[in-house]
Amino acid sequence: MIVQGEYTFPGTREAIWELLLDPAVIARTMPGTEEMVRVAPDRYEGRMRVGVGAITAAEFTVSVQLADVVPPERYTMQIDGRGRFGFTRGTAQVRLAADGAGTVMRFEADLQVGGKIAAVGQRLLDSVSKLMTRQGLESLSKEVNRRLASADPGSRSPNPGPLP
Amino acid sequence: MKPPVFDYFRPASVDEALALLAEHGADAKALAGGQSLVPAMNFRLAQPAALVDLNGLDELAGIGDGPAALRLGAMTRHCAVERSAVVAKRAPLLTETMPYVAHPQIRNRGTVGGSLAHADPAAELPAVMVASSARFLLRSRSGERWIDAERFFTGLFATALEPGELVTAVEVPALAPRTGWAFEEMSRRHGDYALVGVACLVTLDAAGRCVTARIALLSVGEGPVLAPSATAALAGVQPTPDALRAAAEAVNADIDPPSDIHASAAFRRRLATVLTRRALTRACERIATSAS
Repeated sequence: MIVQGEYTFPGTREAIWELLLDPAVIARTMPGTEEMVRVAPDRYEGRMRVGVGAITAAEFTVSVQLADVVPPERYTMQIDGRGRFGFTRGTAQVRLAADGAGTVMRFEADLQVGGKIAAVGQRLLDSVSKLMTRQGLESLSKEVNRRLASADPGSRSPNPGPLP
Repeated sequence: MKPPVFDYFRPASVDEALALLAEHGADAKALAGGQSLVPAMNFRLAQPAALVDLNGLDELAGIGDGPAALRLGAMTRHCAVERSAVVAKRAPLLTETMPYVAHPQIRNRGTVGGSLAHADPAAELPAVMVASSARFLLRSRSGERWIDAERFFTGLFATALEPGELVTAVEVPALAPRTGWAFEEMSRRHGDYALVGVACLVTLDAAGRCVTARIALLSVGEGPVLAPSATAALAGVQPTPDALRAAAEAVNADIDPPSDIHASAAFRRRLATVLTRRALTRACERIATSAS
């Protein structure tokens, strides 16, 4: 299964880069993520719970190994998820390009899904992955906007910190 | 192929069912015809802690003919809808669609309300209800409310149902004069999940121009998908073959079909165009036939 797309965020490549690799941000924005820990500079481990409709949310343990890391330009993720209902594994490439004041993120993942979920839910995998991608990008975008708003010393804060 | 242990309740009234659903919250599922839920339980993909069986609730079943709308109880079986003379007269689009809903064995047990609440993106009834401008009566322990079909379906297997709420009835409005209908579907084998399906209602004025066209598709998105671009392309025009072809092409702007091993997204787009053109053509032919 190929999952690909692009999304434009406000903010610099460096800021987006930092957000994308922050395990706390990943846990908050990736749909169904219950826990995400950076166990090594280039490795994450965590738990996700994914369900749709009447399907009881299935727990997966997930590990992500980073490779080909070129900040703030690109990285590759080796993804490995296992759960009682099946598994997913594959690679995902993320590229960041400056676009005026914003940053364009392009991503392409090639994932294999197997086990019971694939056998029974094959016809829904594409729709579920589209849905999760959209939800993830939307909450990531909110996170970016929230950080930009709080980082802007001229904004709402009645007591701005010292200017750099 | 056996479900995990669950508690089973068979309430004697809708009020009792609503109380049970409220009591057990998200752990409970309402059991209607069980044609999707029970297989999911047997695969252990669905593991509700409690089932509230609605099958004993005769007050939820039945087909009623009102002046402005046809009313279907949520527990009305697909086979009853399929064979109903009242439905055939008042909501012929529904009658035309029923044979496409799975297989006869499934239609013997499956229910209208169950199919709507399940909200499978490949299901026929949600699209037909959206095309028909139907509305659903939802009841919970704290009261009841009506919701338009269009607003009921909110995403992939997702609906506007709140926890503890049940679909109890469906109202399908009467057809306006000079309205034609058609349902078209393509699947690998009859009864399989649809690759694409289209339900449409077209109303023409006395001069033969299109007044309204409600076109809803299935298996091309997260739920039933209305096609406003196709509707706009038909507004005020004579339904010539070229106009219908242009409207069918316009459907492409309204859909985002998935790819799977049965059909690519591109193939589904092609099917959506072809099936929409066929459905619109047949709907308009029906108006011409009934007017002559």
